[in-house]
Amino acid sequence: MKNRFKQIFLKDILKELLANKVNLVFMLLALIISLTALNTIYSLGASAKKQVLDVLANLQFGKDAMLVIAGGGKIIGVTTTRTDTMKMKDVENIERLEFVKLVSPWVRGILEVSYEGFSEKMRIEGVTPSYSLANNWYTKEGRFFSEQDLKNMAKVCVLGAEVPQKIKAKQVIGKKIKIGGEYFEVIGILEPKPSFGHFRHDERILIPLTTAMRRVFNKDYLDAMKILFKENTDIELAKETIRGILRQNHNLYGIQPDDFRLITPDMAIERFTATTRILTVFLLAISVISLVISGVIIMNLMYANIEERAPVIALRLALGATPSNIIQHYLTMALIVALISGFIGWWLSLGLMQLISFFSPLKPLFSWTTFFISLGFSMLTTIIFSLIPAYKATQIEPSILLKSL
Amino acid sequence: MGDKIVILEDIQKIYQIGKVSYQVLKGIDLEVEQGEFLVIMGTSGSGKTTLLNIIGLLDKPTSGRYFLEGEEVSKFDSKKLAYIRNRKLGFIFQAFHLVPWATALENVLLPLLYRPEGFSKDDEKRAISLLERLGLGERIHAKPKELSGGQQQRVAIARALITNPKLLLADEPTGNLDSASSKEVMNIFKELNAEGLTIIMVTHDPEIAKNGKRIKVIADGIFVDEKQV
Ligand SMILES: Nc1ncnc2c1ncn2[C@@H]1O[C@H](COP(=O)(O)OP(=O)(O)OP(=O)(O)O)[C@@H](O)[C@H]1O
Ligand SMILES: [Mg+2]
Repeated sequence: MKNRFKQIFLKDILKELLANKVNLVFMLLALIISLTALNTIYSLGASAKKQVLDVLANLQFGKDAMLVIAGGGKIIGVTTTRTDTMKMKDVENIERLEFVKLVSPWVRGILEVSYEGFSEKMRIEGVTPSYSLANNWYTKEGRFFSEQDLKNMAKVCVLGAEVPQKIKAKQVIGKKIKIGGEYFEVIGILEPKPSFGHFRHDERILIPLTTAMRRVFNKDYLDAMKILFKENTDIELAKETIRGILRQNHNLYGIQPDDFRLITPDMAIERFTATTRILTVFLLAISVISLVISGVIIMNLMYANIEERAPVIALRLALGATPSNIIQHYLTMALIVALISGFIGWWLSLGLMQLISFFSPLKPLFSWTTFFISLGFSMLTTIIFSLIPAYKATQIEPSILLKSL
Repeated sequence: MGDKIVILEDIQKIYQIGKVSYQVLKGIDLEVEQGEFLVIMGTSGSGKTTLLNIIGLLDKPTSGRYFLEGEEVSKFDSKKLAYIRNRKLGFIFQAFHLVPWATALENVLLPLLYRPEGFSKDDEKRAISLLERLGLGERIHAKPKELSGGQQQRVAIARALITNPKLLLADEPTGNLDSASSKEVMNIFKELNAEGLTIIMVTHDPEIAKNGKRIKVIADGIFVDEKQV
């Protein structure tokens, strides 16, 4: 009959809780508010990070990829070196490395684009056929560049998914648009890609790399390249090898700084989340403080409850309850409060995230980890702050029973 | 001559209120035998409740020795005292002291909640038959506030009996009851005593005191008179 025993034990605690509903409501409220905040903040941080990762993964910038950008210096910020040293020779050398799957070099610039009545400056990229594979980005209509286009320095272009709408063109394939004073035939339209924040992926126009270098921008150097490695490549080793090749090709020796930057996905994520992380840490600190405040509130309410229940506690002691029975009783009570508010707080935070997703690009994130973390925090707080009141309860003198009245 | 269940030797109790010390019990010697029904009488403030608290292990004497069934309990720690209260003693209070949110049955089962082995289906059956025996068979799921004073005190008696105590302690058990209910409760006490249960009851009411087999009178912290009924 152990179950019936537990049933009466729990029923006793629940009824004691319900006997003072105002007290109970305030205990729950104190916890629920801070848990909701904690959950929401934690989940939004996780959601932001997940979205950055998704966007990067979608652009084939996973763990087996690396970017090389012309010009040395910090990852972000102004270049402190020459930027005109990265050439096709570098690409050819790197392509020959056995751990390299493919290399996709490019140049870019902003040029005037006109089509019928439309005219505006837009982002132009000169790329090779490997661009599609390197970025997991294919045409949804028409075709991408061929080796032939590159060899011929063909005046053809592929539009980002939002470009036709932007330049107000219908049935644009086969038509000619003017880029930087020259006419280019549209041969394809890229499929759309999700963007994160203000960086629009779908507003670019691609042209063949050779055409871009010779006919449009008139330069013999590259702006950047993306390298995909074969599976299970040691990225650190690969990075050092490539760095060595580039330094040698660029005649850099000794303490001369790199005139290029090697960027791995980790660094990109770091960069994307660095700002949000500071905010997250700050907000987490606030919610932990609010959790402590809730703890203190619960401690006071527990005290009030125990004071009010002194005769019942004295009775329990008189009937043979040991101090540990009493502590068990009040810690179980604290746990019940923690569980209820843990569930409600988590549920409310889901609703709050849903609401936030209407106003921001952040999507609500369901995660068991957050759920258990919040439940854990809730239990930890209530238990810690109920220990002293529970101990206090064991100090009640059972002799007050015969005195009262 | 039965076995002695309670032996008190020179029990003193001094309350310290600030700098003033106040001696309530001034050397109590007492022997209670198995199967007795002892009544302790005295005027208000004479120290009856203080003495009963000490016998019931709810309070400790300032000095003196206390043997319960041959064990010197004045030396026990709080855990051991809780064990003795739970296994050997039953309490009846003037104010009933039922848990307000628990039913009659749950109140009766309460002492068993503090036993590591819990309670069995048989214990629950026993609780119900105790309530039935005390005329509460119809009211086992009633809350205290739905019961009359007499009924509440009978629930309290059932609660005291569920642990099969060696000694029943009662402080003014009829103090809050009308004369009819008082009579009922006293009849139950006499019946239980006839079945062999040792009872120590405190009262200042001579009519109620007559129900006991032996009466000791306390005045100003010492026993002054004793008579067999
Ligand atoms: N905790 C305490 N601190 C100080 N004095 C106390 C304490 N408890 C009892 N007293 C005093 O001890 C004396 C005896 O009290 P006790 O309750 O034993 O009397 P009583 O005989 O039960 O009286 P009554 O018939 O009114 O219940 C009283 O004068 C009381 O004021
Ligand atoms: Mg008294």
